[in-house]
Amino acid sequence: MASEVLKTKAEQELAQQFEAGMPNLPGSDVAWTKAMRDAAWQTYAAVGLPHRRVEEWKYTDLRSLLKDAYPPAPALGEALTTQDVDTALGQGAALDSYRVVVVNGHYREELSNLDGLDGQVVVQSLSDALTTPSDWLQATLGQVAPQPDDVVVALNAALMTGGVIVTVAKGAQVEKPVHLVHVAAVKDPAGLATRNVVHVGEGAALTLIESYNDHSALAVQRNAVTELIADDRAEVHHIKFQNENAESTHLSTWMTRLGANVTYRAFQFSAGASVARNQVFVRFAGEGSSSHVSGAVLGRNRQHNDTTMVIDHAVPECESREFFKLVLDDEARGIVQCKVNVHRDAQKSDGHQIAHGLLLSEAAEFDSKPELEIFADDVVCGHGSTSGQVDEDLLFYLRARGIPEPEARALLIEAFVGEALEKIEREDVRNIFSATTSAWLGGKGA
Amino acid sequence: MRAVVPGREISSKRNKLKMLEIKNLHVKIAEDNAEILNGIDLTIPKGEVHAIMGPNGSGKSTLAYVLAGKEDYEITEGSIHWNGEDITEMDPDERAAAGVFLAFQYPIEIPGVATMTFLRTAMNAIRRVRDEDELSTPDFMRIVKEKAKELGIADDKLKRPLNVGFSGGEKKRQEILQMSLLEPSLCVLDETDSGLDIDALKIVADGVNRLRGEDRAMLVITHYQRLLNYIVPDQVHVLSHGKIVRSGGKELALELEESGYAEFGEAAA
Repeated sequence: MASEVLKTKAEQELAQQFEAGMPNLPGSDVAWTKAMRDAAWQTYAAVGLPHRRVEEWKYTDLRSLLKDAYPPAPALGEALTTQDVDTALGQGAALDSYRVVVVNGHYREELSNLDGLDGQVVVQSLSDALTTPSDWLQATLGQVAPQPDDVVVALNAALMTGGVIVTVAKGAQVEKPVHLVHVAAVKDPAGLATRNVVHVGEGAALTLIESYNDHSALAVQRNAVTELIADDRAEVHHIKFQNENAESTHLSTWMTRLGANVTYRAFQFSAGASVARNQVFVRFAGEGSSSHVSGAVLGRNRQHNDTTMVIDHAVPECESREFFKLVLDDEARGIVQCKVNVHRDAQKSDGHQIAHGLLLSEAAEFDSKPELEIFADDVVCGHGSTSGQVDEDLLFYLRARGIPEPEARALLIEAFVGEALEKIEREDVRNIFSATTSAWLGGKGA
Repeated sequence: MRAVVPGREISSKRNKLKMLEIKNLHVKIAEDNAEILNGIDLTIPKGEVHAIMGPNGSGKSTLAYVLAGKEDYEITEGSIHWNGEDITEMDPDERAAAGVFLAFQYPIEIPGVATMTFLRTAMNAIRRVRDEDELSTPDFMRIVKEKAKELGIADDKLKRPLNVGFSGGEKKRQEILQMSLLEPSLCVLDETDSGLDIDALKIVADGVNRLRGEDRAMLVITHYQRLLNYIVPDQVHVLSHGKIVRSGGKELALELEESGYAEFGEAAA
């Protein structure tokens, strides 16, 4: 076939891995799981890796950015201790939380700590679930907020080795955050496809934190997907802490479906990875819900960080907000694109998006692309974006008070990021990101 | 620091000369050819308060900014010495460390920077230069609250981001609070009276007067005589077209109040 000839090296490697690795993937001998993986692979294989002529990927040409596709990470990797996990977590280790540790895509119960949850939250290994897929899983996996054309999601479905299923009981008020700690521990550069499925029951309250860190400083190509269902009246704070090493690729997708009168507050903090693509798909399935997705991005050297969101106002009377702040130094590139779809019947939809870029060098670049597709006639939607440098007047004011220039500059950058961090309700989480920002400014790379 | 080294010897000889000395100061906007200050000569000994009055556009605020080291201006001729040290080429933070403080006409709002964080960072930066230990948290809180109370600044204002959403009067009080915490030896007050009602003016003036003393020189810049009823100057200078055209005692301010700035080129401004 002609298309075979056009495959990039990474695409050829992926094809070999799928063929050779399929028998070893969880559930490969289970008809439903195998069929699901095959179908996903076909979706991917029909078009290959996304490139700049695919509109959603115009700023992040994976076909050219991914030179190789690393072999899948070994099942369990090195034996890790809690101390290793803490080290990998950095500032995040201090957080008082229920900890769910996933090493190389496999849930590690012995490293996790769910003491005191009393069944309010149940955690299961997805690898196990894929080998005995329940009716619920079959009806849910890939169906929460389906992205049938998304090749990265399809690749994840074809290759995923595990992750966790988190179920929060109806009405449960979970005080401490549930912290999904994804650690990569490899001896050679490796690929990792993981998926989490989270179901928050009616009226339940949950803070869910996903951390992506590495134990080894080797390049990891991560494809992480989280599907989250929030039933009516749930309150969910969903946070991501991405601090992978500077050689790694981080492809992350959140697919979220909100019932009626749900409060969804999402925040993504990204300081790591060489190439990061953060996809957030939110689908309003019930009226009266509110989704705020915010984030802070710290980029330097030649880091590439793309946040792409699609907010689907499928029903009336929902509110969506997006608020992002990016600090970009050296030749770093930051992208924020957000598409808000307001369906024909989604009257009284209220959407607003803001993205601010702070450029610390002439060569840094910030691209912002808001898109509004509105088919209803009684809606309020808006967008705003700015891009600028550190304000010299503010700098002068601080220096006139005796604060030396580097310190004054750092204070202003922290303040810029701080305005995004204010969107996080929990102070303990905010403090971790604030400390990570200070460390980043101090050049320690967090 | 860079300007200090060659002048070290002179500096020690002139140590006794505790004063601000501005000599033949010519200034233009860095990206422009228009000269804003055309040869200012001004000496303020420590312990004295001098006022600069003048019509709009006479160069009053430029003088304030140049003393604080704002980079938008270029000094083409002349010099500024403080305590015998040439500060003409110093960076703003070095000047602040040397004791220079500018109370801004338009204090800047800094979103995201908590007032207390800012105050603490500034105080500790100045203390480091003076070889003093950083303040402990309880000491810092106590000092700030004490000074804030004197200026009628409510605690909740200290918790907010610096100057964000503050009224003109509240911002001016913050300036004086900063001045009293940083304890500078040269205070430059740029139109501190603008935007203040009479009650606020009194509170601010009291704050300034508490800082008057043997070891401190002050330059009070104002368009109106009113402020000088509360901060009584030792000397008054009239600035016009970038030059000091008249100097006298405090009665000169009253005279200007009656006659206006017409003879000094208000219309030309």
